Amino acid sequence: MGANDDDPRKHRILMVSDFFYPNFGGVENHIYYLSQCLLNLGHKVVVATHAYGNRSGVRYMTGGLKVYYVPWRPFVMQNTFPTIYGLLPIIRTILIRERITVVHGHQAFSTFCHEALMHARTMGYKVVFTDHSLYGFADVGSIHMNKVLQFTLADVTQAICVSHTSKENTVLRSGLPPEKVFVIPNAVDTSMFTPAVDRPKRSEQIVIVVISRLVYRKGVDLLVEVIPEVCRIHPNVRFIVGGDGAKRVRLEEMREKHSLQDRVEMLGAVPHAQVRSVLIRGHIFLNSSLTEAFCIAILEAASCGLLTVSTRVGGVPEVLPDDMVVLAEPDPSDMVYAIKKAIYMLPKIDPQDMHNRMRELYDWNDVAKRTEIVYDRALKCSNQKLLERLSRYLCCGAWAGKLFCLVMIVGYLFWQLLELWQPADDIEEVPDFTLPQNCDEEILENTQ
Amino acid sequence: MVEFSISNARYTYVHDQKYPSENADMHHIILRRSGSKYIFVYASALLVLACAIYLYFLEEKSISLVYYSLLFDIFLVKLLLRKPVNKESVVIMPAFGVQLETHYMSGKVVRCFVPIDKILKPVLLECVTPVTCYWTLSLIVREESEMVLVFKNLRPPIKMLVHVWKALCAATDNKEETCTHAK
Repeated sequence: MGANDDDPRKHRILMVSDFFYPNFGGVENHIYYLSQCLLNLGHKVVVATHAYGNRSGVRYMTGGLKVYYVPWRPFVMQNTFPTIYGLLPIIRTILIRERITVVHGHQAFSTFCHEALMHARTMGYKVVFTDHSLYGFADVGSIHMNKVLQFTLADVTQAICVSHTSKENTVLRSGLPPEKVFVIPNAVDTSMFTPAVDRPKRSEQIVIVVISRLVYRKGVDLLVEVIPEVCRIHPNVRFIVGGDGAKRVRLEEMREKHSLQDRVEMLGAVPHAQVRSVLIRGHIFLNSSLTEAFCIAILEAASCGLLTVSTRVGGVPEVLPDDMVVLAEPDPSDMVYAIKKAIYMLPKIDPQDMHNRMRELYDWNDVAKRTEIVYDRALKCSNQKLLERLSRYLCCGAWAGKLFCLVMIVGYLFWQLLELWQPADDIEEVPDFTLPQNCDEEILENTQ
Repeated sequence: MVEFSISNARYTYVHDQKYPSENADMHHIILRRSGSKYIFVYASALLVLACAIYLYFLEEKSISLVYYSLLFDIFLVKLLLRKPVNKESVVIMPAFGVQLETHYMSGKVVRCFVPIDKILKPVLLECVTPVTCYWTLSLIVREESEMVLVFKNLRPPIKMLVHVWKALCAATDNKEETCTHAK
């Protein structure tokens, strides 16, 4: 038996999202690191996501993190096909067999998350939702998604956002009361992102690094204007551009047009394990995103001792202290001025000192402790009957409110039917595995 | 003859220690017949046929509707009540191997033998389907890419599977897991 059974303060958490390993990205990283730190604190964490290709079923990751790859196929942009009630049986089975106390969903643009949270609420579990991105209000896609979000969050127990700007955005989109929303910023693994032992000398050449997906959202069009201008003004500046995407062609064209092949190096897609080795080749990190709820990329750069130049959008101003970042409006001339200012500031920067400060400021263990407080708060909330909860859905809109109520009532009836068809007592609980501390080392020794 | 058994609503597990000299060890999982399933299936088949006949006689639809409904009924009965399994057994002979038997209601028995040196390890696995998750006991077999399921048709609970698993582990001379388990 794990420490779990004895200590009522320890939670049993189910993380749900469409986004998890082997897919790679910010949300996936967040879920993984948060889960590992929560496991270290003594809680039990299980992750549920959809199957990736052949990877289907139960897998165990480091530290005994159990992952359920539920065999529902993704249909667009890694999202599971929305069937409203399709996931109810498997989610119910997982919740009962793992004796879950809190369900934690991630990312607004994840159908698996929304459905799982809805079913968890129907069955009376406490639900926490974390929103990782900023979304608009004006276009058709955003309007529909905001309505779905309103539905899911109408009855969520607590919500978490990664920055104050993100909190404002989420509260406006979903109509959630601000008292229910906590702000817990992301963090960075500072042990993985350390400065270079010896760096290229600043007096010879200044290297500016850009690593991002080369898509519209990440401001590649701005880069296309900024890079030639900077190269013209500062003859000793070089660029390294890592990443791939639809807009890569524009950067290649810019290189050809201004004959910057020797001054702009294009690396293509950079696997995350190699990001640090690319970052330490530079002095300045350039981020030109047009929208960002939080920006982990600049945290990674600051941890490696690079000075950051970024667009002043979304939650970016909240991320780094003023002496580690130079902010600019998302306008080419303003960004060129900011780069000039950064080059001027470079001699005063000490990479190791920056790294040490980042270690103090950002730590995943701190994020886990703050999330634990949110779980404690969520569990203290009262259990509500179906009728009380329905009143919250009615406020969502004239027609939408009634539709949401209908969906919840039908969901409740399905659940009662399932309780008769397959009673909860028939579902066996899974014993907790406790891996001994040196289990991984033993396996490594045996294979060598 | 020493016998040890556990039962729940659907399954009964019997451990037959008929040969205490450990030449052979038998484990059986017996399915409890539930009449309600038969009643439900036959009742719904009858309902479908009755509707078709009603439509033919009173609403004057074509006779082919009755034929189709009859075909549908036969298909339904075949699908839901096909080849009912009475019992599944595992006979462990440490010197030779493991015999897996499936006994059907009709008296037919299907047997599958796995030699002892081909078994790498018996494992308890969790299988996830789009609607549920359950435990299975499988044998990892040398030089085969697929594992051999010990209980192919029945899904007994983990507390029954654990006894069979322990017996298989002892017979195939595997060390107990180095990582500790809760139970």
